[in-house]
Order: sequence, then C-alpha cells, then structure tokens
Amino acid sequence: MGYQISRETANQIFAQLKEHYDIFAPKVFAGEGCFSDTDVIRYGKINALDEIEWERRSEYSFKEALLAVNETLFYFTEEETTVVSCSEKRLLIFLRSCDLHALKRLDAIYLENGPEDFYYRRLREKASFVLMGCSTTCENGFCVSMGTNRCDSYALYLKISEESVWADCKSQDLLPYFEKAQTCEVQPEYVTENAEKVTLPKNLSVDSFSNPIWEEYGSRCIGCGRCNFVCPTCTCFTMQDILYRDNENVGERRRVWASCQVDGYDEIAGGIEFRKTQGERLRFKVMHKIYDFEKRFGYPMCVGCGRCDSVCPEYISYTSLINRLAKEEA
Amino acid sequence: MKNEYIPFPSQVKEIIRHTDIEYTFRMSFSGDVKPGQFFEVSIPKFGEAPISVSGIGEDTVDLTIRKVGRVTNQIFEHYEGNSLLMRGPYGNGFDIAQFQGKEVVVIAGGTGLSPVKGIVDHFSKHPEDAVRTTLIAGFKSPQDVLFKEDFKDWEKTLNVIKTVDTAPEGYDGLTGMVTKYIPDLPLSDIPNTVFITVGPPVMIQFTIQEILKRKVPEENIWISHERKMCCGLGKCGHCKMDSTYICLDGPVFNYAKGKNLID
Amino acid sequence: MGLDINTKKAKKNAFRIGKVRGEGASRIRVPGGYLKAEILGLVQEIAQKYGNGVVHLTTRQGFEIEGIRLEDMDAINEMLQPIIELLDINQENPGTGYPASGTRNVCACIGNNVCPFANYNTSEFAKRIEDEIFPNDLHFKIALTGCPNDCAKVRLHDFGIVGMTMPQYDPGRCVSCQACIKGCKSLSVDALRMENYKIVRDEEKCIGCGVCVTKCPTRAFTRSKKKYYRLTLMGRTGKRNPRLGEDFLLWTDEDTIVKIILNTYRFVKEYINPKAPGGKEHIGYIIDRVGFTEYKKWALEGVELLPETKMKECVYWNGVHFDR
Repeated sequence: MGYQISRETANQIFAQLKEHYDIFAPKVFAGEGCFSDTDVIRYGKINALDEIEWERRSEYSFKEALLAVNETLFYFTEEETTVVSCSEKRLLIFLRSCDLHALKRLDAIYLENGPEDFYYRRLREKASFVLMGCSTTCENGFCVSMGTNRCDSYALYLKISEESVWADCKSQDLLPYFEKAQTCEVQPEYVTENAEKVTLPKNLSVDSFSNPIWEEYGSRCIGCGRCNFVCPTCTCFTMQDILYRDNENVGERRRVWASCQVDGYDEIAGGIEFRKTQGERLRFKVMHKIYDFEKRFGYPMCVGCGRCDSVCPEYISYTSLINRLAKEEA
Repeated sequence: MKNEYIPFPSQVKEIIRHTDIEYTFRMSFSGDVKPGQFFEVSIPKFGEAPISVSGIGEDTVDLTIRKVGRVTNQIFEHYEGNSLLMRGPYGNGFDIAQFQGKEVVVIAGGTGLSPVKGIVDHFSKHPEDAVRTTLIAGFKSPQDVLFKEDFKDWEKTLNVIKTVDTAPEGYDGLTGMVTKYIPDLPLSDIPNTVFITVGPPVMIQFTIQEILKRKVPEENIWISHERKMCCGLGKCGHCKMDSTYICLDGPVFNYAKGKNLID
Repeated sequence: MGLDINTKKAKKNAFRIGKVRGEGASRIRVPGGYLKAEILGLVQEIAQKYGNGVVHLTTRQGFEIEGIRLEDMDAINEMLQPIIELLDINQENPGTGYPASGTRNVCACIGNNVCPFANYNTSEFAKRIEDEIFPNDLHFKIALTGCPNDCAKVRLHDFGIVGMTMPQYDPGRCVSCQACIKGCKSLSVDALRMENYKIVRDEEKCIGCGVCVTKCPTRAFTRSKKKYYRLTLMGRTGKRNPRLGEDFLLWTDEDTIVKIILNTYRFVKEYINPKAPGGKEHIGYIIDRVGFTEYKKWALEGVELLPETKMKECVYWNGVHFDR
C-alpha cells in the first residue's frame, strides 16, 4: 500500500519503529575516510531518519548489518562453550535494489550451501528491508546490465524530499505504523540506464584460467582486499580463537571477514599456498563473481553495484576486465 | 535449530607416536564415519584445524596430526584421558564398496596416508575383497615413516612398497619418489584397476602423470584434496575450487571431475 | 643624474638589488605556494612589461621577476596590487607593494588538497600563519609539511611543522589482514604488531604518519578528529653552523604553534643584537647566545599544552660548525 506523509510524521513513525527495531542504514562517518579530511559512507545503527545518506552510494555494503566484520560465535572454557546471545529487537535495514539482490546471494551461501548457518539465520529471520530508490545511476554501477536495478521483495519502500515522505509498505508487520497516513500510488524509483554497461562473457571455462589478462591486471594488484570487503556478495570468513590474557584457558571463537586477495587466504598447514600470485587471486575472485557461482546456484554472484571499481586504490576496473573478456569471445 | 559451529568434547583414548612430529590420537567417537572424511579439531586455546580420519574403530576414530602450524603443535601436549573439542565428520570420504572386486593401488605421500589408511586397513583385513591391493607409500626419510606397526600387518597381506625420498647410507629399504614405482607396477587388468592417490599437491600432480602413462582411464583414479577448510560447512569459502566446495562435495574426487578443479 | 635609490627601503619593499647596475628583481610571496592560476597571468604581464620576460620560481615558493629597472619599482608596485589582493596579503597602503620582506614567505608542501599521505591542509595553515606574522622585518623562516615524509624539508627552517594524526583503532572492524603492520614496517617506523589477531600500536614509537589509516581496507584505522603536529625548531642553512631543526613538541595543535611563533617574535625583539648588520640576526643564533631555557620561557608564555602533547624539556642542536 502506498502512502504520502509529512517529514514530521515520518520522524514520529521512525521513533516508534526504533522501539522494536535496530535500524541500520548508510550514513556519513565524517573524517573517517581513507585520506585526511575525507568521509566514509558505510552502514551504522541510526537513531533518526536524518542520519541516512540518501544521495550517494555507501562505500561498504549493507552486509555488515547481517554479517558483522567480527562475529563472536561462542565463548569457551576448557569444558564448556556458551553461544553468544543476540538482541531481542528486530532489524530494519535500508538498502538499494542492487543490495537487495545481493541478499539473495548471501542467503544462497548461508542458508542453502550445506547446513543452515545458525548465526546468519537468527538475524536474517528478524530482518526486514527498506528499499531506497535510485533516481540516477551511481558511479561505476551497472545494475541494469546485471538485471538488479529493480526489485519488489522489499518490506517497505521509502522516498524522501524536504517536506514529504512517500512509502510503499508490503509488510504486514509494518502496515500498522501507516494506519493514519494518506494513501496514494507509490512506485519505487529505479534507474533504467547506467553510464557503465557490462556484457558478461558467455563461454568461460577452465580454459579461461590461462588467459593472460589475469596476470596483466594481477601485476597491478596490491592484494589489499578492499574489493572483497566492500562487495555485498563476498561472504568469506576465517575462524579466530581469542584467548583472554588473564586466563588463557578461557576465550572466544570468532569469525572475521576474509579476502581471497589477501595473503594467507588459501594457505594450509606446512605453508602451502595454492594461489601465490595476485593474478591467480584476481582470476579466482572474478570467476567466482561471474562464472562458478552461477554454475552452482543458477545466477551470477555479481549484482553490479560498482563498489569494487570505485574503491580500488590501483584503479583496477573489474567492469572493464569483464568487458574485455566478453569482447575476446566475440 | 542446530548450531553446527559448536564442537563436542571427545576423550583421547590413546596416543600413538609415529615420529617426533606425528602422532595418532585415538578419539572416542560413535557415529557414521568413512575414510577420507575429516573433523574440525580444536583445542580452545589454539583454534581449529581440519584433520583427516586415519582409522575407524568400534567406538573410536583415529586422527593423525602432524606438528605443523599453531594449532597442531599444542595438541601433542595433551595426553590420554584428556578431551579435545571437535566437529564433524565432514566431507564425502571414500566409498570402499566402489573398489571391491578390483585391483586396488593406493599411492600416498607423508600424512596423505591418513585419509587412505582406512582403505588399506580394509583390504588388509579382507584381501579377498580385491583382486590385489598395492600400497605405495612415500616418506621424506626413514625418520618420517608413519604407521610403522600397521606396515608390519599390511606387508603380510598386501603388496607394499614403502619408499623414502632420501636415506642415510646403509638404509636397507627402498628409496626414491613414489612415482618411481608406478611404471613397473604389474597390472594385469588395467580397466579393472583403481588408483587412489593422496599427498602434497605436487606429489599428486606427478603421480597422476605416471598413472595416466599406464593408460589408466581417468575414471579409475581417485584423489583427495587437502584445502583450507575453516568451517567444514560450505560457508567460509576458503576451500572452494571452481564451483565446488571441497568440504561439502569432497575432499574425495574422481579424477575425471577432480582434474577440472583448479585452485 | 645618477640613480638615487634607498636600497634598504627597496629591499624591505621586496625588491632585490641585482648585480647589473640599475637592475633588480621583484619578489612575490605566495603563502603555502597556493595560488589561483590567474595570478600567473598577472606575473607574466609584469615580467613582460617591466622585466626581461623571465621569472624565477624561488626556493621559498614565490616568484622573482627578473631584470626590472629599479626606477620602475613604483609602477611595478601598482601592478602587484591585484596579486597582493588575490593572495590576501596583509598590507598597510594599497599600491605600495609589500610592506616588509624580513619574515619570509611561509612554505608548504601540497598537503591534503591533493596528496593522499598528508594529514592536514598545509596551505590553509600556512595562510593562517602568514596572516598572523606578516608584515614583519624580523628574519623568520617557517615551513609546513603534510606528513613525516617532510617533502617541504621543514627541518631546514626556524619553525618546521609536520602533520600528524593519532590513529584511531576499532578492533571490531579489523580483519587481521596486517596491511597496516606491513605498511608501517615498510614505509614508516614499524610501530605496529598483532596480538590475539588485533593490532597493538607502540605509542612511543608511533610518529603519527597515518600510513596505517591509508592502508586499512576496512576503516578499522581512521584519523583522529583532532589534527596534530610535530613542531621542530631552529633548523637553518648558512655560513657558520647549518643544522637540522630539532623536535620541540609532538602531538601539539595549531593554536599552540601560532602562539609559540608570535611569542618568538617578542623574544627576538627583546634579545636581537642591536648592532646586527642590517638589523638581521637569525633566531637560532640568538637562542644559541641566550640559551634554550630562556627561549622556552618566552615561547611558552600563555601557552597551554594539550594533555597528549609531548615536549622536549631541553633541545640540543648539532650540525656542521664552520665557525669553530
């Protein structure tokens, strides 16, 4: 159901929602960018509608609202393990269409690939998603090419102007908040064209592994992992056991975001590494995004958000690499 | 809903010392488990590592642990009676039924013998289940030989080639890489012969080259991939090769599929 | 009739008396080396109208218009006026050029307008200092640099200002990738190590360069909201005892630096040798004569240091002595 409400009413609804929901949205962290006097837009818990950054795409994706950078799985003593409890509150996560499509990829790994993940499941069940429309394309985004520019699996759609807020509420749980609101037709805004256009190569195979393009781009890569950390579909983690200094028999086991571009990702006991060069690591990542994930799950992993291109300090363009692969096929 | 990440305690029944750095832990475990499967073994103090099952008893599983890396160094300080936390078993493991009635050649390097030891044990106890069973086991040096007691049993019933890469002067056993012994293996019926090979990646690569030279069909070769399996649950991503998660779909693969798995 | 020029006055008015009789140069100060490009056109005009068409880019980031006739100084001052205004240089009488030249142009590296390593806006801070100290006849040299790489070579100046940031670490965002550790080791002072998968910073060793922040791929390391500086004192070139400036304050702030510089002007007025040739005695030599303890007393007059500031109680200089 569509509604138009005043900004003031929206603020009141937000205040009511806050009692039952932890609300995560992209916001500006002033001065916390990579360089001096630069900001970073990333996800954080918000206390007011005004804290949300509506204009610019977040540098880091929504995934940290469901998958913390560091997540404690359990505490242990020598004999016992104690699972970390989680907040009673429900979750409301603001995101854009590309990210809502990314959610499907997170679900695939955490709910469908092997047994369900306890920690993801318990947050996922509590989460509802608020779609933020896109009136213009973002830098480097290619959602139209990936078919992720539109979606309708949201609980709530919001569009905001100085005075008014338009909402489309699909969730029964959220409908009561709009009880007194004036109804109207509301359709989510979405982009129909990006500046960036990407064609996926159709005939990738094991033979593509020997393409010199990987080494060409890999030689420019510094292996920092930013492309993975900003990606809404990258889900890898590493286990860490933390021992408390006061008593080394007691501690906690955490899982922490991992990057296939960073040293040690595939290193096994004895120091054997399977992908030693950045070229091999880059190939591993790109093939996962546009080839082997699809082979397993039936759709490409990449949602075309463009974050990896925007964040790469070495200006390695994933989109241009893919387009070159496609062009080579043609 | 089950929390797959929570390990269970398992008592260390017995510790068998093979070398200065390799020990077998006989752990209490009752449940279905196959050779080639693995457990995520942890001492809370030091973290988790995937360890292959190297033997299966009534109410026990053997875990042969090599003293490399942070985790396994410390396990050696725990002895009989203590507990270790573990999760599993994970992975597909070897299906021994598939090898019955065939000529079986097992080629293993170092700790690679662990995941195939259950197969060797089986055909050693039931030699009639196979046309003939050959074990080619390679170790770095005489000091690195694992399962010394088991070899004594195996040598009674199987064709055993135990070789070391390098040996001091006067060593009376076989020397050289495992690959050295493949060309001259007496194979009576190649289409009915299965090869099972596990070991360091480079060893597997050269071993398979030699096996293929004997005109063995790819479908008759089985391998097990050792990769970084942090979770064992298809989540952490570290063990993925192509569209395959080694922890879920492996670690045992028929070479016809396994050859296409590139890291 | 011979050329009748008060050279002392001309020099104070930012003209150089050259080696060719009747010729000199017009010196244009550009605080922080930061200027609108249109000024280049104005400089060009003067050089072509009154000079020999050649401009020298000075070692202190100014322009020196070569080959001007000394009798044209007034006309040149008229033409300098828009430049002085565009750069917002303190001036008493419009149209009369620069009111002083003793206190030299405040130099700066490019800073965080462009450079990814810089920890602050060097040109803005340079301008702030310029506004506070100019015009003044006393011979002061001040330079600012964005980070401890010290591209501006601030340790050759009376006051050297080096940008610092206090790394802020959020262990909850850290993925143990060790990019910061590797960066600090290879590019800086190796002040970081990992303990229990998290980063421990050796606060004594850390120089606040910010490499950890630029290397961090997850925003676990960020810059402090407050901007910090290292203040080095009394570096100099010259004939007697060239030397590098030595650290006086670490983790200090802009206000403190400005106060110390202004206090130093008062100190110099008090202690300068009245018989110094051309009324010019370098501060460093005055401090050498009077003693650092006395200087420090003056420098810190009315200054309240930040709790986190580290001060060197006594500063000793070395350098090459040609005068012994």
